[in-house]
Amino acid sequence: MFNLFNKKNENLALIEEMRTRQERWFVFLEKLEARMEEMNTAAVPELQNVFRQDTDPYKRAHIHMLSGLLGQINQMRNKANEVKEENIVCFMQEAEASLPSIISSAGSEYRRKLYTFRMACLDRHNVFEDKINHAISLLQGAAGEQDLESAYQEELAAFERIRDKFSCKQCGGNITIPRMFFIDTYITCPFCQSQNTFSPSTGARMVLHQARSLAEQRTAHLLRSYEASNPKNPDLYRHYLRCMFDEWNKIVPDMVVENEKFYERLINEYTINHHP
Amino acid sequence: MAEEKKRIQAYLEQLKNKVETQENYGGEITNEEARMDIRDCSECGAGRAYHKGLTACAYCGFVFMDTKLTDGVNIRKENNS
Repeated sequence: MFNLFNKKNENLALIEEMRTRQERWFVFLEKLEARMEEMNTAAVPELQNVFRQDTDPYKRAHIHMLSGLLGQINQMRNKANEVKEENIVCFMQEAEASLPSIISSAGSEYRRKLYTFRMACLDRHNVFEDKINHAISLLQGAAGEQDLESAYQEELAAFERIRDKFSCKQCGGNITIPRMFFIDTYITCPFCQSQNTFSPSTGARMVLHQARSLAEQRTAHLLRSYEASNPKNPDLYRHYLRCMFDEWNKIVPDMVVENEKFYERLINEYTINHHP
Repeated sequence: MAEEKKRIQAYLEQLKNKVETQENYGGEITNEEARMDIRDCSECGAGRAYHKGLTACAYCGFVFMDTKLTDGVNIRKENNS
């Protein structure tokens, strides 16, 4: 009767298989990580170069290059996921199905081994994913920011230069542009009252597009102090938003009403589902 | 390892070339200067008036624009003539 407990269920082949698979998985991930490292270190200076030399106001060449590089990283991520699906997950499910029941001593022992194998592989995969995310944020931050402040100062100076240079097309009287316009605007001639259409230069129009980015650049230190606070201090964020919008309104005073509505919406959204 | 590096360098060079020579959608952006222009009424030759003369000529009724103006940054609904 006591011979019942003597028969041991051994499956050495399974243990060997798990070990080799784990090793191969680790080696595979390491190779991918090494390739990603190399690509990153080589790509960051290239990205910075392309950004600096790009004459496009929207820096589209840099965006294209960044998308290409991120695509490569994504390919690596997909490859890792595929290999995981095929080699680890499938194998694990088949192995589990073939084990004896969990209440037998052999069954629970093998299930424990399988569990350690699975956790080791998945943890390694998580480390890999962390590295991928780190690489992605590295690439995205590589080129730095455009120098919007000096562009804005240039536009202000240019506006001062052309302010009194125009004359009414109908009567020839001198027209002074009252303030900086960013879109086509009607200006009334003070002498003959006709509506002249003033079209601002491309540079002035760009100021309107980049106004928000410039305001964010100017208040970036406030956002950083909010991000650094632990636990996150909501007052800091509201203060940052208020300052950012004030800067934005200073740059483009025509948009004050719309910007205030936007600000109200952001403040409202910030308090919805807010976990203190 | 060195071969891997060379492959990556080659790829980066190719990417950079393609990116720098690629034409952006919308063509080249030309920098334009600010300018002032006017549109006279083509029927009676009068200048464009502000008070009740933006969308249609205040003197002869020639229609400058067919659309109804709504509130904008500098233009208001009341400017419809």
